Amino acid sequence: MTEFLKVEGITAGYGDGPAILDGAHMTVQQGKVHCIIGPNGAGKSTLMKVIAGMLPVRKGEVIFKGENLKGLRPDQTLRRGIAFVPQERALFPKMTVRENLRMGGYILNNDRERDRRIDEIFDRFPILRERADQHAGTMSGGQQQTLAMARTLILRPEIVMFDEPSLGLAPMIVREMFAIVRMIAEQGVTVLLVEQNAVMGLKHADWGVVLDLGRTLFEGPAQEVLHDPRIQELYLGGRKVA
Amino acid sequence: MEQIIQVTILGIGLGGVFALMGSGLSLVFGVMRIVNLAHPSLIIAGAFTAYWGFRLWGIDPLVMLSVATLLLAAIGVLLYKIFFERNAKSATYSEMTVLLTFAIAMIVEGALGAMFSNTQRVTSPSYATDAFFLGDIFIPKGQLYAGMVSMLIIGLLAAFLKYSRLGYAIRATTQNRDAAALLGVNVNMVGLMSFAIGIGLAGAAGALTSFVFSFFPAKHWEWIAVLMSLVVMGGMGSIMGTVVASFALSIVAAFVGAYVGSTWSTMTFFLALFLVLLFRPQGLFGEKPELL
Repeated sequence: MTEFLKVEGITAGYGDGPAILDGAHMTVQQGKVHCIIGPNGAGKSTLMKVIAGMLPVRKGEVIFKGENLKGLRPDQTLRRGIAFVPQERALFPKMTVRENLRMGGYILNNDRERDRRIDEIFDRFPILRERADQHAGTMSGGQQQTLAMARTLILRPEIVMFDEPSLGLAPMIVREMFAIVRMIAEQGVTVLLVEQNAVMGLKHADWGVVLDLGRTLFEGPAQEVLHDPRIQELYLGGRKVA
Repeated sequence: MEQIIQVTILGIGLGGVFALMGSGLSLVFGVMRIVNLAHPSLIIAGAFTAYWGFRLWGIDPLVMLSVATLLLAAIGVLLYKIFFERNAKSATYSEMTVLLTFAIAMIVEGALGAMFSNTQRVTSPSYATDAFFLGDIFIPKGQLYAGMVSMLIIGLLAAFLKYSRLGYAIRATTQNRDAAALLGVNVNMVGLMSFAIGIGLAGAAGALTSFVFSFFPAKHWEWIAVLMSLVVMGGMGSIMGTVVASFALSIVAAFVGAYVGSTWSTMTFFLALFLVLLFRPQGLFGEKPELL
């Protein structure tokens, strides 16, 4: 097991507010799909924001390939190869699909290289080529999510993080989203996923991380997590989980 | 028929100038969420720049336009650094900027009054009082030149926003600030640059208005309401909307002035503001307000 990204004892919160994460940890293995699950308010999105550098770390460490990411801004983590799609998808509604993709390559200094990579994206996601000159805000939810996910690939990241890519999408479209996640992972990109629907998320993942009340309850191979009795208790029963 | 064409031409001439006056205001609101009530007072500062350049050295206001643009852009950088940068994270930023820019407007007005007195001024290059004649229709050269230069500048601005790297960053920041930051845009630098450009546009608009309207330091109070109505009607932050609203309302105002009475023509802008706020508060090109 390669030590790729390691999150240890993270405490973090918004502004001067209470700690949302309170000692969370997780291990991330290169090239695998990791699914973070847990009830509402467990700190799943917050964990992603911490890794992306959008929220300061109060305690603990995020180590990526031996480097501590503490104190880095989002653009700095991006340059190191960590891309993030937040829940609200972070598109520019009044920019075209092509312009959105160009923004995805904003930190590339070579326009020709950027446009070549956009062409590659179009080859992999033909629907985006079809809609290239359409405003992103006028596309369907599934297409917008596809664009948001595809946009991260322009920078050829090592890790992509998707916060609830299935949110608000019809079941059939959700399956497409997970197919895209698989495809991205097969290219050797490490994927972190937050998923409200635990069963669905774990089925498509290699590794599962269970958060509750800002702490990591346990983590392990997705299949084992999926069948762990503690999951049943967490979602259906009270909070007697040790 | 001739009179209708004549009035339309006069309206278009004014519309071009108003469009430039409003587009800087719209840009600054779009990117920074700053409701810049000081914008017209800075336009007057630009007008004074052109006025003194002509009066002292005989430099054409269309040439002084570049000086006014750069001078005001520099003032914009200073204002941003002093007043706006440190407060950018405040939750009540937009509300705060209303009071802040109101105060800046009064300071600019006072400073201009102290330096140049409160007399009415107008820059008077030869074309300011000249006109082209097409049969019985006359086209005032001053308004024609001002309108054309305005359109040229707005065209350049649009091309800059559409194609340049900074333009992409400005548009992205306007539409989704957090997303732009996530993709590596330095949103604070974008804020500073768009504020400087917005205030620079006020300088350019000032140089043009200096030979179209007579002005004095307190004149900006008349303009702020007119400009706000243009920006609100266009959809706050939409430069395209501001331009369309400027032409539409200026033409209507010209007709009201010609057929109802010139004292009523300014009413057009206020009436439009009321109607827009009542029936289409997001403006012509604005986003529908979110339900949340």
